[in-house]
Formats: sequence, C-alpha cells, structure tokens
Amino acid sequence: MDILYAICIYKSMFCVELFFALWYFFLLKFSVFLQQLINGLTLGGVYALIALGYTMVYGILELINFAHGEIYMLGAYLGIIFLGFFTAIGLTSYSLPLALMLTFLLSIIFCSSYGVTIEKIAYKPLRKAPRLSPLISAIGVSIFLQNYVMLTQGATDKVFPDLFGIAGFEFMSVRMTYLQLFIILTSTILMISLHLFVIKTRMGKAMRAVAQDKTMASLVGINIDTVISMTFIIGSGLAAVAGLMVAMYYGLVNYSIGYIAGIKAFTAAVLGGIGSIPGAMFGGILLGLVESLGASYISSEYKDAYAFIILIIILLLKPGGLFGRAV
Amino acid sequence: MKKVLLILIASIFIILSGCQKKADVIKIGIAGPMTGDQAKMGTDFKNGISLAVEEWNVKDGVLGKKIKVIVSDDQHDPKQAVSVANKMVNDGVVGVIGHFNSSCSIPASDVYNRAEIPMITPASTNPQLTEKGYKGVFRVCGRDDQQGKVASDFIINYLKLKGVAILHDKTTYGQGLADEFKKFLGDKVKVVYYGGIVQGDKDFKMVLTAIKDKKPELIFFGGIYPEAGLLVRQARELGLTAKFMSGDGTIDPKFIEIAGANAVEGTYLTFSPDAKNIPSAKGFIDKYQSRYGELGPYSIYTYDAINILLTAIKEASTTDGKTVINKLHSMEFSGALGKIRFDEKGDVTVAPYVVWITRAGKFEEYWKP
Repeated sequence: MDILYAICIYKSMFCVELFFALWYFFLLKFSVFLQQLINGLTLGGVYALIALGYTMVYGILELINFAHGEIYMLGAYLGIIFLGFFTAIGLTSYSLPLALMLTFLLSIIFCSSYGVTIEKIAYKPLRKAPRLSPLISAIGVSIFLQNYVMLTQGATDKVFPDLFGIAGFEFMSVRMTYLQLFIILTSTILMISLHLFVIKTRMGKAMRAVAQDKTMASLVGINIDTVISMTFIIGSGLAAVAGLMVAMYYGLVNYSIGYIAGIKAFTAAVLGGIGSIPGAMFGGILLGLVESLGASYISSEYKDAYAFIILIIILLLKPGGLFGRAV
Repeated sequence: MKKVLLILIASIFIILSGCQKKADVIKIGIAGPMTGDQAKMGTDFKNGISLAVEEWNVKDGVLGKKIKVIVSDDQHDPKQAVSVANKMVNDGVVGVIGHFNSSCSIPASDVYNRAEIPMITPASTNPQLTEKGYKGVFRVCGRDDQQGKVASDFIINYLKLKGVAILHDKTTYGQGLADEFKKFLGDKVKVVYYGGIVQGDKDFKMVLTAIKDKKPELIFFGGIYPEAGLLVRQARELGLTAKFMSGDGTIDPKFIEIAGANAVEGTYLTFSPDAKNIPSAKGFIDKYQSRYGELGPYSIYTYDAINILLTAIKEASTTDGKTVINKLHSMEFSGALGKIRFDEKGDVTVAPYVVWITRAGKFEEYWKP
C-alpha cells in the first residue's frame, strides 16, 4: 500500500514537474518567439513597402528599377534634413506629431518627384530600346544618386535625432517600442490603401490595363505616360516612407543603405512573384520573418543567407514566385 | 585650319606640362578608411599626419627634401587595401603609415614586404599582423591578446561576473579580439552565447533577442563603433539590461551619439591610458585641439608613427627600405606617447591597456589592471 502511495505521489510530482516545464517553456521560449515575430514584422513591413515599388514598375514597364533602393535612401536623408529644419525653427518642440507629419509629407513629395524625373530622364527615352538598355540606365542612375548624396552630404554616418527614446510597452517579457508599433501599423495601412486604390479606382483600373497590354490600353484611351508617372509617384512615395521609418528606427543613415535594402526588397518582390502587388507585400513580410526566426533558431551569422535560400527553394518549386503568373 | 593649329598647340602645352620635372620630394604613403562609415577615423588619421608633416617641412623636411604625403582610401575593404598598397608602391613611397583595420593591414603588409619598404600601423591590433615574420611591419599600438587579457581580468577580478555573451563582427580585428577575450576567460566565466554579426548591418534585434533569452550579465563586442552603438541602443530597446563592453575600435564620440547618451551610460571599453595624462603628449594635444577640435582616439598614434618613420629615415640618412627597417628595429624614439621601442617582431615593447567607462556622454579612465 505504501509503495503504491509512493508511486502515486511520484507520478503526480512528475506531472507537476512536467506542467512547470511546459509552463516555463511557454513563458520563456514563447516570449522569444513573439519577440522575434515583432522584430520580423517590423523589418518585413519595411521590405514590403520597398518591394511594392519594384513590383509595380516591373508590372507596367517590365523594367527592374535598380535606382529604387536609392529613392529609399533619399527618403531617409530628406527626413533628417526636414526634421532638422523643423527643429531649428522650433516646430518640433511645439508639436512633434505635426513636425513628423510634415516631414513625412515633404519627403514623400520630394522622393516622388525624384522618381518621376528619373523615369522621364533615364527610362522614357529607352522605352523602345532592347530590354537591357533601361536596366543599365537604372544601374547608372543608382550609382549617380549614391555618389551625389555622398558628395553633398558627406561619407560619414548621419545620426537621426532620437525622438522616441526607448519608450514602449512590455508584456510577458516581450518588448515592443512605440516606433515598432508605428512602423507595423503604417505599413499595414499603406498596403491596404494601395490594394484598394488598385482594385477600386479608375486610375487603379488603368494601371492594371496597362500592365496587361500597353497597346490595347492606349487604344481604349488610357494615357500611358500618366499611368507610368503615377506608378513611379506611388512607388517612390512608399519608398520614402520606408526610408524615413528605417532612419527613425535605427537612428543611423549613410549613402550606401539603399543598396542592401534594394537587394532585399527585390528578393521580396521576386519571392512573391514580380509584378504582383499582394505578392510583394507577402514576400516582404515573409523575408522579415525568415530573417528574424532564422537568426533566433539557427544562427545569426548567416542572417542574410536565409532570405536567398528561401528564394532559391521557392523559385525551384514555383518559378513565377508565390503569387506570380506562370512562366 | 586655324582651329586645328590651335588645338595642336594646346595639346603640345598639355604634354609639356605633363612632362615637367617633378620637385624633389620624399613620398610617404598614408592608408586608411577615408570614406564610408569609418571615415571619421580616416579624418583623425590625416589630421595627425598633416600636423607632423608640417612640423618637418618647416624644418626643411628630411634629408634636405620636402615630405609629400600620398593619401589612399582603403574603404576598410581588404581587396581595396591591397590595390591601394600596390598603387602607392608604384608611386614610389619610401614608407607607409597604415592601414587602420587589421583586415586591411594584414593583406597589405604582403605588398610592402615584397617591395621592402617599412609599414607602421597606428591602430591595427590583431596579433597575426606581426606574427608573419615580416621584418618591415611595425605597430605603435598594442595587440589584441594584451587587450583581451585586460578585458577578461576586469570581468573576473573586478566585476566578478558569472555569465557573459560574446559577439563579434566577423572581421579580423573583431573576431580576433573576441576570441582572445574568450580564451582568457577560460572556465572562470561561463560564455552563454558566442556569435557573429555582419559589419554594415543595421538590425541586431534578432541576435539580441536570442541573447536576452540566455540572460548574460555582460555582452562583450569585438568590433567598431557603428555596430557597437546600434547594439547598445537596440539592446536597451529590447529591455536587455546586461552591461556592455567592447574594445578600442569602439572608443569614438560617434559611439555615444549613435547609441544615445542614456543607453550608453556605464558601458566599458578597453583602450590605452588617457593621452591627456601623458606629460609628453601635452604639446601635441594643445596644437591638435586648437586646429582640428576634439582629439580622435588614434590621432596621437598616427602622429607618433610618422614621426618615428621620418626620424628613422633621418638617422639612417637614406630612404633605402632595408636600412630604414634596420634602423627602426634598433632605435629608441621619444615622442608624444613617451618612449617607444620595437621588439624583433615589430610590436611595441610596452603596451599598456586600461578599462574606460562611459559617463554622462564622455569616456573616462576607470580601471587599471
């Protein structure tokens, strides 16, 4: 009897232990998972915003706009310049949200005009040229913009003013800063509105028509040039927002940040199927999550490699990308 | 016809001016990261050099010839370092001050060794550099094995910690320092995390989240200030309260600026003792500050490095590489840093390291081993 009793106690103790072990795992490991999820979503949102610019231009012009990463970099720099200006005239201390909104607005306007100008100067004259020519022109623009910023703004890192500090909230030892929340929300809202714009409005419809068949679209009275300009305006505006948010998030900007961000976003666009808007959104977020979870569960040393491994796997299984048209 | 003639005459002038005999000068090569994210180090480097060269040129240069400095940008890229090294050798430099990063100094030292010209680095601390057996390679700074030892002593004897996490930037310098540090910790302190990050990356939240899970008491980082600043800032954003420690690559005002004054408070750095406390450095510091503002961490080293080279050339009374190298091995030099002598490997015989702390947005000396 005693022995049975002892076994019972032992067993129940084991159960309690198991329960605690599970609870411990849930609390500790799950919090790591959640934390990485937040890190990944923040980064993924930014990738998605840049990827949209790639994918929209590709969808309409079948051109990989390699200068797009530089627009993102310009957005970050313009943010520093405008915010510095608003701080100097005292607007930032008067109302931070107002100063931020104006900074965003001005960066978007400037970057959009950069985008349209680049299209008019570097791509439009080459619209009838072989496909390789605009591609090389794009690389040229990218190099030009990088060096332009390096010469005018200096080669050293610029530090973005620290506006929010490390303020945030904590739940179950998972920390989320207000800035992370802001980035995730902003990118979600922008993506939803872009989706609605393309689906619901006349301009969106025209864009889809031009993407399908340029000649046919012009025959039914769509002004192709306007549509293309609009594409560059929207794409560059999104890149400006992404650049500004990243500058705020990391607090560090230099003239070469556009290159690696451009490559990552391009990967995201290809991952989702280049030319497809939902594909770019999904690809960007997937890329961010793969990087953060890979860094946590495999190793952080090869963080950049995971994205490309996933890319290879998906292209092998589905050459058009996840949401792409069949090749 | 007139036009053609005009162009012909003009081109003859251009060719003639190209052939013009160059003034008799002694060329010294300077190599470091002049652009890019470490450009600040490059600027400090150039400032220290130009101050010294100016002093020499006022006194009619060396061996009766003026000194001309050839500045090369290696962009802290090993490939670029080798290519600028070859270019400088072809330009006929008689010696090189540089490079800054160990990952550049080590491959570039092959080129200078082949050309038999001396190279003195003011800042490359990786032990490998002087372990290759090249006679012409010198450094006026310490070595990472000495630095790693001081850092580990500080953690074992002073802070008395139990668990630390180690990160490095996968460069020769960063990983070298992290490995030396880890070696000297031995089994006295548990290393709960060891891993690398990518230089130039901006997002370290992912690796920091993984580190937070391991609950270290301190994070040691082998690397340079841009990444160090971001690491500290993002660690605090994640609510990671572990102490932070790094090496001499991090001691730069930009580190504080990037991380933010609050986040950076109380971080430890190993570096040589404060130059402001060295009596012989006072003249240099006053002069430097009145012209360029705040002293860079390595300005004084570059200043001494070029002075040593020029003194050796003067004492050897030739610019022949081999003779100058022999002179460098045998002479004793007293400069802004005090007395400097090289051992047979080309390392300085005395290389003291101390621990610094960041307090109220400033670095100050904190602990002596």
